[in-house]
Amino acid sequence: MALGADRYGSRAGTLLFLGCVALSLAAMGLPPAWRDPVAATLRQTVLAPFLQLQQQSELLRTSQSRFEQVVAQRDSAALAATFLPELRNENTRLRALLGLGQRLGSGYTPAEVLHQAAPTDPLTLEVSAGRRQGVRPLAAVVSPEGLVGIALTVDAQTCVVITWAHPEFRASAMAADGSVYGIVAPHGTEGPGVWLLALHGVPYLQSVPVGTVILTSGMGGVFPRGIPLGTVIGVAGETEGWERTYLVRPAVQPAAVTHVMILGGARGGADVQGAFPPFSENP
Amino acid sequence: MRRSDKYRFWVVLAILVALQFSVRSRLGGERTAPDFLLLALLIYTIRSQPGRSAAAGFLVGLLRDALTPASFGAGALAHTLVGYLSAWGKAVFFAENLFVNGCLFFAGTWLRNLVVALASGKLKGGQLGWELLVWSPVQSLTTAVAGVAVLWLFGRWLAIRLSET
Repeated sequence: MALGADRYGSRAGTLLFLGCVALSLAAMGLPPAWRDPVAATLRQTVLAPFLQLQQQSELLRTSQSRFEQVVAQRDSAALAATFLPELRNENTRLRALLGLGQRLGSGYTPAEVLHQAAPTDPLTLEVSAGRRQGVRPLAAVVSPEGLVGIALTVDAQTCVVITWAHPEFRASAMAADGSVYGIVAPHGTEGPGVWLLALHGVPYLQSVPVGTVILTSGMGGVFPRGIPLGTVIGVAGETEGWERTYLVRPAVQPAAVTHVMILGGARGGADVQGAFPPFSENP
Repeated sequence: MRRSDKYRFWVVLAILVALQFSVRSRLGGERTAPDFLLLALLIYTIRSQPGRSAAAGFLVGLLRDALTPASFGAGALAHTLVGYLSAWGKAVFFAENLFVNGCLFFAGTWLRNLVVALASGKLKGGQLGWELLVWSPVQSLTTAVAGVAVLWLFGRWLAIRLSET
């Protein structure tokens, strides 16, 4: 049995609704300098236990996955126990080849991505490391494939990362061989180029072949030099006689990232190119 | 409604909130997994007056905005609207039946995503189209299925009377 509208349509309820709408609109209009402290306060107080729960859940999920891997590795190890010296050598070689963390040394903080159920989730990510873990604002956030984004707001236990897909993201970039420099930004929200990057500011006379790997250049003092951004897949547009803009397929898809590393020691000027495996194009 | 039912109602809502932050990440992609927090709000609105539902929606939305600053304020607006309209619609139009409640959950989730996408201004053109025509319907569907399951399992606890049809 449905309740009557007359019982529900109280004036106080309508005023409460209008008040909430007005507060929401006011929140939307808040400048970042006011908005960020409010959001940070909520994250550190009301939401702290829930974020802790989500972090523990992610750890548990990872632990289960690792447990299965460990069981598989144990079985493999038992089988290959008779070839222990070879196994040890192979392990050493693999450690030398793989393991971004090992190559980066100690200047990074590992973190889990705490995805949220909002349409704007790929634009900003909440990650489970903050000030207490040594994360600083504007720190580069990477995955083994390349650059994910940049730490924007750092709380005690978590931080907000704006990804390369965020409209305000910019990174100074270069071709892998250092022949071309430009600025990488999200390509936009229209047409077939959605969720791609664009390399702006390339001089008209300098052409960038399809397949060229684009890395951060280290200029500007924010990102270290040599973090993969993506691969050139074509020309997006040109200003005649002046510059060309190239489409870049990103190295990392933010929605698919579950774990990241937040660089702490390496800032602009440092070169971390050797820490990343050679970037391969997967069309 | 008995006094013990009232506590059970809040226990179910608390379970849904806990599911949001613990189990949800294991239920498929981030864009398609059911939104248990919104589901808790919608179940709350089924029993509450529109004004209180709007206030609850505002609080839930504001907390979500703190986690996704790219759309700060838009979540509060969207959840306020969804809470108010859901309570109104439930009071005026809807019968007490599982399918209709499922439709309410579906529409509420889709409307929430629509308002967030439009109010945040961050998604346009192709991105907006994909969000509203592909990802949001899938998330709305999974949320509706989860909601129907919750009502089927705990309908008596939630003091929601379901007809046989």
